[in-house]
This record gives sequence, structure tokens and C-alpha cells, in this order.
Amino acid sequence: MQTGILAGIKHGETVLETRGITKRFPGVLANDHIDFEMKAGEVHAILGENGAGKSTFMNILFGLLQPDEGEIYVAGKKVKFHSPLDAIELGIGMVHQHRKLVSAHTVLENIILGHPNAGRILNLKKTGEEIDALCQRYGFKIDLKAKVWQLSEGEKQVVEILKALYRGAKILILDEPTSALAPPEVDKLLASIEAMTGDELAMIPFITHKLPIVLSTSDRVTILRRGRVTARLETKNATERSLAKDMVGREVVFRLESVEVEKGPLVLEVENLSTRNDKGALALNGVSFSIREGEIFGIAGISGNGQQELAEVLAGLRKAEGGKVMLEGKDITHASSLERWQTGVGYIPAERVDVGSIGDFTLVENVAMNYYFDHEFSRYGVVDYKKMGALTEEIIEEFSVATPSADTVGKNLSGGNLQKLILGRVFSRRPRLLIANLPTQGLDVGAIEFVQNKLIEAKKERAAVLLISEDLDEVLSLSDWVAPIYEGEFMGVIPGKEAEKDSVGAMMAGSRLEEVVA
Amino acid sequence: MWEFLARSLEASTIFTVAALGELIGQRSGVLNVGIEGVMLFGATLGFIAAQTTGSYVIGFLVAIGIGAFLGLLHGFFSITLGGDQVVSGMGIWILGFGLTTYIGNPYTGPLGMERIPTIFGVSPFFYVAIILVAVTWFVLSKTSLGLRIRSVGENPAVAAVSGISVTKTRYLTVIVSGMLMGFAGAIYSLDYNPVWNYNFIMGWGFIALALVFFSMWNPWILLGGSLLFGSLWQLSLNPQLLLPGVFSRYIWRTVPFVITLGVLLMMSTKWFRTKWGAAKPAALGEPYSPE
Amino acid sequence: MKVGGYEVKLEKRILLPGWKAAAISILAIFVALFLFGFIFLQDGVNPLVAYREIFSYAFFNPFGFPLTINRFIFLLLATYAFIIPFRAGLWNIGMPGQLYFGALGAYAVVFALGGHLSRTAALSPIIVIPLMLLGSALAGAGYGAIAGFLKGKYNINEIVVTMILNFIAFWLVAFMIKEGGLFMNPGGRGESFELPDSLHAPLVGGTPFTILLALGLAVLLYWVFAKTRIGYQIKAYGLSPAAAKYAGISSFKIPLLVFILGGAIAGWAGYHYFAAVPGVFKISRNYGFFGDLAFYGLIAGLISLGNSLTAIPVALLFAGLSVGGRFVQGKLHMGFGLDYALLGVLMITLVIFQFFYRNKIVWEKIEKERLDVGISR
Repeated sequence: MQTGILAGIKHGETVLETRGITKRFPGVLANDHIDFEMKAGEVHAILGENGAGKSTFMNILFGLLQPDEGEIYVAGKKVKFHSPLDAIELGIGMVHQHRKLVSAHTVLENIILGHPNAGRILNLKKTGEEIDALCQRYGFKIDLKAKVWQLSEGEKQVVEILKALYRGAKILILDEPTSALAPPEVDKLLASIEAMTGDELAMIPFITHKLPIVLSTSDRVTILRRGRVTARLETKNATERSLAKDMVGREVVFRLESVEVEKGPLVLEVENLSTRNDKGALALNGVSFSIREGEIFGIAGISGNGQQELAEVLAGLRKAEGGKVMLEGKDITHASSLERWQTGVGYIPAERVDVGSIGDFTLVENVAMNYYFDHEFSRYGVVDYKKMGALTEEIIEEFSVATPSADTVGKNLSGGNLQKLILGRVFSRRPRLLIANLPTQGLDVGAIEFVQNKLIEAKKERAAVLLISEDLDEVLSLSDWVAPIYEGEFMGVIPGKEAEKDSVGAMMAGSRLEEVVA
Repeated sequence: MWEFLARSLEASTIFTVAALGELIGQRSGVLNVGIEGVMLFGATLGFIAAQTTGSYVIGFLVAIGIGAFLGLLHGFFSITLGGDQVVSGMGIWILGFGLTTYIGNPYTGPLGMERIPTIFGVSPFFYVAIILVAVTWFVLSKTSLGLRIRSVGENPAVAAVSGISVTKTRYLTVIVSGMLMGFAGAIYSLDYNPVWNYNFIMGWGFIALALVFFSMWNPWILLGGSLLFGSLWQLSLNPQLLLPGVFSRYIWRTVPFVITLGVLLMMSTKWFRTKWGAAKPAALGEPYSPE
Repeated sequence: MKVGGYEVKLEKRILLPGWKAAAISILAIFVALFLFGFIFLQDGVNPLVAYREIFSYAFFNPFGFPLTINRFIFLLLATYAFIIPFRAGLWNIGMPGQLYFGALGAYAVVFALGGHLSRTAALSPIIVIPLMLLGSALAGAGYGAIAGFLKGKYNINEIVVTMILNFIAFWLVAFMIKEGGLFMNPGGRGESFELPDSLHAPLVGGTPFTILLALGLAVLLYWVFAKTRIGYQIKAYGLSPAAAKYAGISSFKIPLLVFILGGAIAGWAGYHYFAAVPGVFKISRNYGFFGDLAFYGLIAGLISLGNSLTAIPVALLFAGLSVGGRFVQGKLHMGFGLDYALLGVLMITLVIFQFFYRNKIVWEKIEKERLDVGISR
């Protein structure tokens, strides 16, 4: 294993320090004189909203970006990173939120990729033994011969941690470490963080939302807002509320007001629905549920448990393997996606850039994606772009989409504004069934509130809403019914008012309702 | 009959070497649809060089050299400029087709050199091809370099954060890939059928391209496919050997192409597709630009 | 990169206004012609003289100009055959195969009506010529449909398929017109029977009526892509198949449709060259030459960025270059294949210029303080 300048570091000594890190992008000051410091064996969390400059700072620490001003010191020595390789060699490792692993390769191949010990001719036996030793030391369990695509999110994270450790990392940057994990996997992660810090490794978790995690794991917190450090404190002196205030700059309401709407007749009935994923494996296994007018039906789950496939099969983008889907009494199991749009299904996809919009289309043409087939907007095969333009202007106005004009192309919009446009486009069709897949993911707080309020509005306007979210708080605060999904099956369906965070969390990890209640 | 078999193996040799070149490039994520063009260049310039100097060695070196250059060119368009790999490949194909027609025309006719001696009745290049397949397989699956190449083809961003230069790796494979294609062209024009003619590669490159998809990026399966198509091609030229009197000779010429379509169709069946989807380099055809 | 006191950077273009795209395309053509000049130089010919000869023959010579116009019609049709699938993000390099089938389709109509028996067969052109057009469009469309079907249904790479179909069609034409084929010329010269005089295509001002077809299609296609629902669907599919699927656009029908349309138009290109160009009226022995010429359509389609109106001047220029190129090749005693070589050089230059459609080069004066930051380490 490597010995860098961090090799002999002792508990409590400063391992990493930055002074006055500043980074500008056209029109944005992403990092404004950030000072940061951390010690061996310490967990020092960095907290901030999307757009607060967290990822810029993280990329600077890992050598993916170079700062315009400021200095980085590792073990007291001034250093400069030209690429991640420089950071890796000095003992800094990164555990990415969007796992940087080759899914077609084995765990072992991923860990030794680019490692000097890999050997000209791959030395799988020796490297395998060394990695096994690392696993034993920190209590990781992983099959080195498994292909990465077969692993759960938690296991993939373990692979990333092992990869960094095997490279000799003494400082681990953890990007949103708990974001895709089920609660029991979170517990495992916390235990291994403890084991690693006990071994004098330093951890820098970067966290957006999960304030309780910050409180339970870290020794210190640095909070960023608009590129600046707004607070630096010992975690024991902080509360969830104080952290949120420092992060957002105002008091934050944690729970949305739930709205009571008189329930109407059944809009969607799903019986025993099954479907396969792109790899041909069963992704959704006999799911049954129904939604009434004016209800939000929330599906909580860790990504990859079949919710994406459920949304697609309901939107007509994926074939049902078995079962039945009824919309207002009409069997639409085998209807095409176009027929569904025409009979009152509206779908807001999770992939707003790749699926929900077309970057090279103007906003008018993007709005046309859900309208070109309507008699009102196209007659005898000719599209009425004038009318479409007027509709686009209305949507821009009503959904406060920030754009220079309706003729701008879609790729010029920010994520939040793009989502508002998609939302406006789908909402203005007044769908009977609205499928919203991860509607707030990756948005900033303002946009999240906006989208959530719009979902409540849709409910008031008597639509049936299917909300799919990985954010447990969001599901619990918005939904009339909560269905935790695990490996393609509902673990139970609970009335929103009775849903408790602990029990839903356990169900997301595979416990059935009966087990949780008992 | 033996003669037919020997010629079939020689035809397979050309498919194998050209397709192997494409396979190596594709494993690193670079698609080159211009194989036919590189083969035309290798075949024509190799032919001219050999004829003018009287040396086969020089002929082959020139062919491999021009292949390397065209690989570099494709690399420059698709790696450095980050352009559409299909556009670049098309460009190389049409450039090859257009320029070699003009350059080669004064040399129309037979090579007029003593034939390259055979080993056990088969062209020595057949054995070279088998060795190339084995080496490619070994490098790709057993060495660090192979792991790097495969990683770059699956997920260049991951390779980059692991400290691997995507650009260097891709340039390496693209150049080697071009060398093999140029070499394959020269085997055609200097050994298999040493006569220069207008656009004489006649679709070999495109069949080789289809063979790579068929092989699921495995060199051994590729060799099997090449043997099949080499024999088929030879049969289409001499149908009277096996099936005298069936079909006109023009219809026979379509047979390898029709069967290629059949194979492509078979590969798209559900069973095949699940296998295929897993084997396909995930970043194939996509330019990589670090953000 | 730093040059003097300036930093030279590449920037991704966000918007490319039409006039800039046109400027880049025109520049690409000029650069290609400049580069091609070296081929003339290498053969000991002054490029300026060569180009003057090419253009004066192609556009101002009473023999050359009609050739140019006929080739222009052919290239324009071939360009549309490429453009329509291209707008859907698909590569139709099967124009040669489709146009061979178009020619066979037209001749099949005549054959069925007994027109192969005698050059003086009295067939009514008002009825039979439309039937021939229909036959060539159907045959081309049907042949194109194979690639569209395989792409739409099984997602098989359309480049490989269309190219393979080209070779199959090439040999099928040989089968039909040579060595006892159904359409063989009674004289047995390895070419097809000649059309009866009554079926020679009517001329409009000395040019086959197909010119009206080609120009009319330019306007029609422009309108289809700018205004119609089907045009919208094709564009959406071309830019993002996943988003198009989300919008309810069939990922089976669009590839099938664009290849049917492209194939039909390529079929007309086949009709034009083998049944409408004055003086030919047969599937000649060197039909492969015309098939390969159709690849100019690919380049014209790329340079005109898929716009059927801008394709007109581009196709006219290419027609002139290839006709004039063939002429100077004889006149200046240069080797065979000059027009093909030009095709290759144009194509590779265009590949380079693709880069400038997407990026621009920016010169930025480096400020003093930033220079300092760059140096300190």
C-alpha cells in the first residue's frame, strides 16, 4: 500500500486545510474565499443547498476543478491539484453520489482499475487478498467476483470506499453518502465510518438535506450558502432547526400543510401489475392499488426497486407483463402512450433533460410534445404553431419560468425552470391521472416548494396523483396514501396520516407492514 | 475441394483481421464505420508500393502505415474534436472510396509478382490472424491495459477519476485498429486476390462491421463468425463446387449479404438481445468530454 | 492555448443562426476545393485553369450544361433520400440500392405491358409514365422499408443494413439485365432492353419533367418539416428518441416511414437516370457508376444541414463539379476517377467543419492579474 505525506499522521493533527478558495464561473461566484480545516480521525460535514457551491468546492478538493484563488494544504504542505490523480496520490479519496463504477465489470476489476499494484498482467489473486484484508479490518462484506450491476446501492458505495482505501486514501470525501441508501444500509455505513475514523481516517461528508445524519455522525459542520461559509460549529452545539436556518438563511417550515379534499370516485385501478426492466428481469411483481379523485398516492422507495418501471408502464412506455390497469373504468392495460395522453394520463418523467424535454427544441416545440396530437392544436396534419406559442406564453407566465423568450431552446433553461415548464405543460392538459416521478429531485428549495404546491393544487382540482419520491419527508407530508416499495412489491399501503417515518423507512428496506406493526 | 477450403480460410483471414481492428476500437468506445475506406486505402497503397518496389514487405508496411494514419485521423475527429463518430467514419469511407479510385486507376490489373508461398497449403496470414485473435483476447481480458481499454469503453468518466487518460487509451486503440484494417486490405490486394480494380473491396468492410456486432465483442466468437463468412463468400464466388446449377451466379453473389442480414436479425431476438445488451461497450459511439 | 497576449479557447455554440451555418458550409466547400487543387498541382495542372475549365464546361457549355442539369436532378433526389431519414437521426446510405430498385420498378411496368418487345410499341405515355413513376417509387420505398423495419422493430444498425442492401441490389440488377435476365437487351450487351420511343420522358424546356418533381419536392419537404405534425414527429425522434417516445411518437413507425419516403424518392432518382435522361432510356452496363454517384447526395444533405431548400444550390454545384471534373479529366489527360476523388475530399473536409457547427473559437485578451495566477505554482 502507498505511503504518502499523510502516512504517519496522528490523531488530532490537521490533515487538510484550505485558505481563501475562490472559484468563478461565467456570471456566478461559486466559491467565495472558503476556509476549511480538518483533523485526522474527524468527521467534518459540509452542509449546503443545491447551488450553494458545495459541488464546486468538493471538485476542487478532489482536483477535478482548479481554484481561481486560494491555497490547499495537505498535512501542512501547500499543494496544487492538476487532476484527481494528484489528489489520489496525496491520499484523498472520493465516494461519489452517482457511483463512478463500471457496472459491467466485477468488484475487483473496479477496485484495481488504474491502481499501480494491478500489474501489467492482472494480478487478481494478490490484489484480491489485499482487499479482503481491508474488508476485514473495517468490517465490510462484499463478493469481489460479483458484477457491479448486480449490487445494491449500499454495496456499490462499499466498493467505492474500498477503491479509495486501497489507493491509500486517508481523507475520504463522501458526496451525499446516505442519499440512495435504505435505512438499514445507512446504519451499516455509520458503523463503518466509525471504524474508519477510529483508524485515524478523516471524513468529509457533503450533505444537502439529511440534517439528522449530520447531527449523528459529524464532529464539526461547515455550512455554505451562495458560495460563502455562513457558519462553522461543533456539532454538539447544533440542532436540526439551527442548521436549516444557517443553510437557507431563514426559518424553514418542515411540514407542508396537508389539504383535505373531498374524495371522489376511483380514477385509477391497478390489479396485479407486473413488468420487466431493460435487462429482462422482473422489476414490478404483482402490484395492486387504486387512486380516487383528489388523492395523492405516494410511493416511497430507494431507487431501483421498480418505481421507475411502474411509472413507465402506467404511462404506456413499457409493456405490462401481466395484470390490468383501468382508468375511470376503461381498460388501458394495452393502450399506447399516445392513447393514454389523449384519455387523461399526464406523466412527469424523472429524467427531465433526456426524456421530458428536447434540448434543441424551442420552448414552444417543447410544449408541443404534449399537444401536437390534439385536434385543437393541429388540424389536417398541420400544427398550429401560433396557438402553441400563445399557450407557451401562458405557461411561462403562470409557472414563472425564467426565460428570455418562448423561442429559446430548452437546453438554455436551468433544471428548475425546465421542470416548471414540463409541469406547466402537463398540468395545463388537466390530466385525470397525474404521474409525477421524482418531481423535486435536484431542485433548489424555492423550486421544490413551488412544485409541491402545484401537486397539492392538482389534487384540489380533483386529479388523481401518483407521486414517486425518494424523499421520505416529501412523501409523508404530501400523500393521502403511502406505499413503500421494495424489489418490485408494495410492502403495504398506509393512510398518510398514520404513516410514521420509522415504520415506512423499515418497509422501504424490505420489511412488510405486518412485521412492522407487530 | 481442398483448394476451396484453403481459399475459404484465406477469405476468413481478411474478415478476421479487419473485424479485429474494429473490435479493439469499439472496446474502447470508438465506433469506426469507415472500415471499408481504411481497407481500400491499405489495399490500394499497399498494392502500388509493392508493385513499384517489388517488395511485399514494403507493401504491407505502407498499408499498415496508412491504416495507422487513418486511425489517427478518426481519433482526431472523434476524440480530440469530439465529433460524431459516424460522420467521421463515413468521411473516411468516402475519402477512401473516392481517392483510391483516382490514385489506383493507373495500376489497374494484376500485381505481377510471385505469389506469397503458402504454409500447409494455406496463406501464412491465416496463422497470423489466429495469433492476432489470441493476443487480442489475452490483452483485453488478462492485462491491465485491457482493463483500462474496457473501462474507457464502458464508462470513460469512471476511468478518468481512476487516473486513466481516456484520450491516450482511445488514441492507442484507434491507431492499432486502423493498422489492422489497413493490413487486412493489403492481405486482400497482395495475397488473396492480387489484382487492382475499381472499388474492389466490395463490401468486405461492412460485413466485418456486422461481424463485430455479431461477436458480442469476443475475439473468439469473432473468429468463428469470420470462418463462417469466409466460407460463405468463397462459396458465393464458386457455387458450382458445392451446388452446381442452383441459382444464377449473380444471385449467389448476394448470398453472403443476405445471410449477414439474417444473422443481424437473429441477433436482435430477445434471447440474444439480453446477452448482447450486457456485452456492448456502454459508451460506444459517444464522445467523451471531461466537465 | 495561449498565443501572444491572447488566450485562444473553444466554446460550445448554444445557438447557431442560419446565416452562420450557411457561412460555415460555404467555407467548407471552398476549403475542399482549395485542398483538391493540390491534386491538380500534383498532376502538373494549374488548379485555376482546371476550375475554370470545370465551371465553364458545366455551366456555360451547350453540351455540358444539360448534363449538369440532369445530374443536378439526380443528386437533388438522392439528397432528399438522405435528408428525410437524417432528420430522424438515421443514416440512409442505401440510396444506390433504392435507386436500382426504382429503375427495376419502372422497367417492370414497361415489361409487364410488353414494352420490351419492340422499340416502336405503342404505349400511351399519359398512362404508362405515371405508372412507371409509381412503380419506381413503390420499388424504392419497399426496398427502403426493409432498413426502416429492421431499425424500428429490432433496432438493427441502419448503416450496416442499407449498405448491405446496396450490394444485394447491385447483384440483383446484374441478374435482371445480364446473362439471360428478364430485362436483358436482346442484343445481349449486358444492359437492359431499351424503352419504346413512346415512353421517352416529356421535356420541359429541353429538360426532363423530373426537374419539376425535384424542385416541387424541395418546397414540399421544407413545408412538411416546418409546419406539419409528421414533420414535428420526425424532428422530435431525430433529436431524442427517448423524449419522442415519451411524447407518444412511435419508435417503430418513424424509422419505417422515413425510410419508405427516402426509398421512394431514391426510386425516382433511379427512374430519372435510367428512364428520363435524354439519350439513355435503358439500364446501362455501368449502372454501378450512377449508384455510387448517389453518395454525393449524402454530402449535399450534410452540408445543407438537412434543409431541402438549401440542398438545391449545393446539389447544383456538386452536379457541375462532377460533370466538369469528368470533362477536364479527359481534356487535361488526368487519371480516371477525378470526380470520385473530389467526392472524397469534400466529404473529409466537411467532417472537419462539422466541428465548427458545434464550437467556436474565441480569442480573449489575457488580463495582467490572471497571467500572474497562471504562473504561480
